[in-house]
Amino acid sequence: MRRHRARAAAPGAALALLLAACGGGSYGSGGKAAASAVFTYDTYTQVMVDGWDPATEYSNGIIAMSNMYETLTRYNPVTHQLDPLLATRWSHSPDGLTWTFQLRHGVRFHTGRLMTAQAARAAILRTKRLGGGASYIWGAVKSIDTPGPFTLVFHLSYPSPLALEASADYSAYIYDTRAAGQGSLTKWLNAPHDAGTGPYTLQSWHNGQEFEVVLKAFRGYWGGWSGRHFTKVVFRVVPQDTTAAQLLRAGQVSFVEQMSPSLWASLRGAPGIRLVSAPSWQNLLAQLNTQALSLPVRQAISYATDYPGIIAALKGAAVPSSGIVPAGLFGHFTNLPSYAYDPARAARLLRQAGYGPGRRPLSLTLTYTAGDSNEQVVATLLKSTLARLNVRLSVQPLAWATQWAKGKSASPAARQDIFVEYWWPDYADPYSWFVNLLQTQKQPFFNLSYYSDRTLDSQIARVESLVATNPAAGSALYRTMQVEILRQAPIVFLYNTNYQYAMTTTFSGFQVNPAYPNVVFAYDLRP
Amino acid sequence: MIESPVLAPPDAAVPRGARALRALRANPLLLAGAALVLLIVLAAVLAPLLAPYPGDAGTATHPFAALRPPSAAHPFGTDEVGRDILSRVLYGARVSPLIAVVVLAIACAVGVPLGVAAGFFGGWLDEAIMRVTDVFLAFPPLLLALALAAVLPASLVSVTVAIAASWWPWYARLLRGQAASVAGRPYIEACRALGISRARIVFRHILPNSVTPLLVQVSLDVGGVILTASALSFLGLGAQDPVPDWGLMVAEGQGYFTPDWWLVTFPGLAILLTAFAFNLLGDGLRDMLDPRRSFLP
Repeated sequence: MRRHRARAAAPGAALALLLAACGGGSYGSGGKAAASAVFTYDTYTQVMVDGWDPATEYSNGIIAMSNMYETLTRYNPVTHQLDPLLATRWSHSPDGLTWTFQLRHGVRFHTGRLMTAQAARAAILRTKRLGGGASYIWGAVKSIDTPGPFTLVFHLSYPSPLALEASADYSAYIYDTRAAGQGSLTKWLNAPHDAGTGPYTLQSWHNGQEFEVVLKAFRGYWGGWSGRHFTKVVFRVVPQDTTAAQLLRAGQVSFVEQMSPSLWASLRGAPGIRLVSAPSWQNLLAQLNTQALSLPVRQAISYATDYPGIIAALKGAAVPSSGIVPAGLFGHFTNLPSYAYDPARAARLLRQAGYGPGRRPLSLTLTYTAGDSNEQVVATLLKSTLARLNVRLSVQPLAWATQWAKGKSASPAARQDIFVEYWWPDYADPYSWFVNLLQTQKQPFFNLSYYSDRTLDSQIARVESLVATNPAAGSALYRTMQVEILRQAPIVFLYNTNYQYAMTTTFSGFQVNPAYPNVVFAYDLRP
Repeated sequence: MIESPVLAPPDAAVPRGARALRALRANPLLLAGAALVLLIVLAAVLAPLLAPYPGDAGTATHPFAALRPPSAAHPFGTDEVGRDILSRVLYGARVSPLIAVVVLAIACAVGVPLGVAAGFFGGWLDEAIMRVTDVFLAFPPLLLALALAAVLPASLVSVTVAIAASWWPWYARLLRGQAASVAGRPYIEACRALGISRARIVFRHILPNSVTPLLVQVSLDVGGVILTASALSFLGLGAQDPVPDWGLMVAEGQGYFTPDWWLVTFPGLAILLTAFAFNLLGDGLRDMLDPRRSFLP
């Protein structure tokens, strides 16, 4: 359910951070006992729906895994640079084909094994071999050398921004490939176990229950446990954001990820509660079935979408899109040709296709994720505007797993006409939208508009190396691709999400990082 | 010809209308229930005239007027896409009560013949029908309706079918007991002795003399069906937007309940009022038709 992102879009989505005093212990060599508290991430839908394998997980699991696993680098939203994490420094050759990473010393996996260059190499090669999740981030890697115990040298087949890719929120984790011994690592991980290097390790998983995932502090964490830290992280499934808000008001929950805009606004001024609003790199998309809908019909739907109305109805939780790439990312342009709400033009396009007012009715199906009230508002508004154009829209709210399975169905007849979902990048770069949503896929996975364009495919194949070697040319290519995609209208870019977080004032250190959507790095918080 | 000994008019000289009025006056519960039901029926019938924004009961939306609190322009406020809630509540009076009527009609159409057949004929037929009803009665009606609705496409038709499927066994069981009781009475034996056909006995004697408790039960069940249908719509298994179903309105408004209370309060009150009205009516009917507690003069 990677791209549906439960609460991320859903104004009901609640990420709750529950603070509760519990017996403190002193971890590491840092002196006084760390203040202990429980951090609870609360969502209306399951956190771990895509398995526990850090190589292939490609869904909401990052909100838990980002506290258990670490990457070589991490994107810093303040400096817009990469911070060292498991790698302390890195460099690349002038041609961008060789990258050298110096790894941090003294880092241990949760299994107790020392993280070395050999171990990191094995993890990356396994991720690449499995080919799941966002493993394409390692696509340029031809080979990896380990000239020293803590030195990784990547040889690329084409130039690629590897340090940036190594900060990805998916498939960039470094883990212990020997955790299962001679047994199957995949089976061992999905038991579940974890084999990361992060500050927290898995304590329990209760699939389908309210308190779904509990993490506990990893005593051997390389960062140590001096000072104040949360020592337990709980991922809690609360289907109603009103309930999450009540928990927050009662002080039982200290962080609510997202809720309905009016509910969020209602917390303004509440004692002991802090609200944070921040732009995200996440947008809501409506993928149009290009195999079922002709170009004029797709363009008509794009013109029939009441973008200002959607923005107004969502009261601060949404901002207008400009093209595919959200503001703040490379490849974002403010002057792209765009669709404005124009019912008259939509009617003309529908008439071209033999539909529209006074002609035969057009019946379409739209699926969205049940429980997501923002998507529900969008679906209702779209149904309303299309009805005026003699288009009958059947709206189907489905559980994400069902919605996605329907979209991926091998039978074209079983698929929807319009698939509504959220998308965010795999790392601080727009490539994810193009390679996942628009590149030809023989078996649909996330390209649920079933769009296929050989020219675009070849452009996607070379854009990242162009960005690495000639950013200006890469930027121009991103613009060219977006202009053509907007003309072909396989996707309606409905809006960009504005994060609306609510939290108690009992901790500090929270920072919005759009490169890791809805992830709260609990270790960085100060209770 | 042998006539049924029950339901004989107590005072043939008093016109039926006058007797009914007298009964209403003597039974305040019945009067209140009837008045409220009449109010709901009027709201349903006159919705196009009463609703300030009739289009809002359909596909119209006004996103720039979303989540407005109650005001002179919108006495019940607006919902998350700017629709007038008063208009939708008024039109909703056409949805939930209609579901109840159809559900109860289906349940009666299935349950009454089966119950009468089981009670009158007895034997293996009685056993077979009652065991089937036992299977259905083993599940709480809401749970059974929920299970059925979950496997059917979400729509008003599905929810109607699902509830009806969980409701008929109660009527079959009720009618079976009544029919068995009536079938053992001497005048039915006399009918048989006279060679009157079984069909005639059933339709002229068994059914009319068994149906009174059913009428009471049906009137009491209207509220229950409305609540069940609302519950299923609330769970997303019934009506779909933009149908102004009260249960669906409550479901869609639940995420806004704390700050925007009017989204769920008014449709919720409509459900409450309707269920209450039919319960009052049912109670009143029961009192009126119960020979031991009859208010009939």
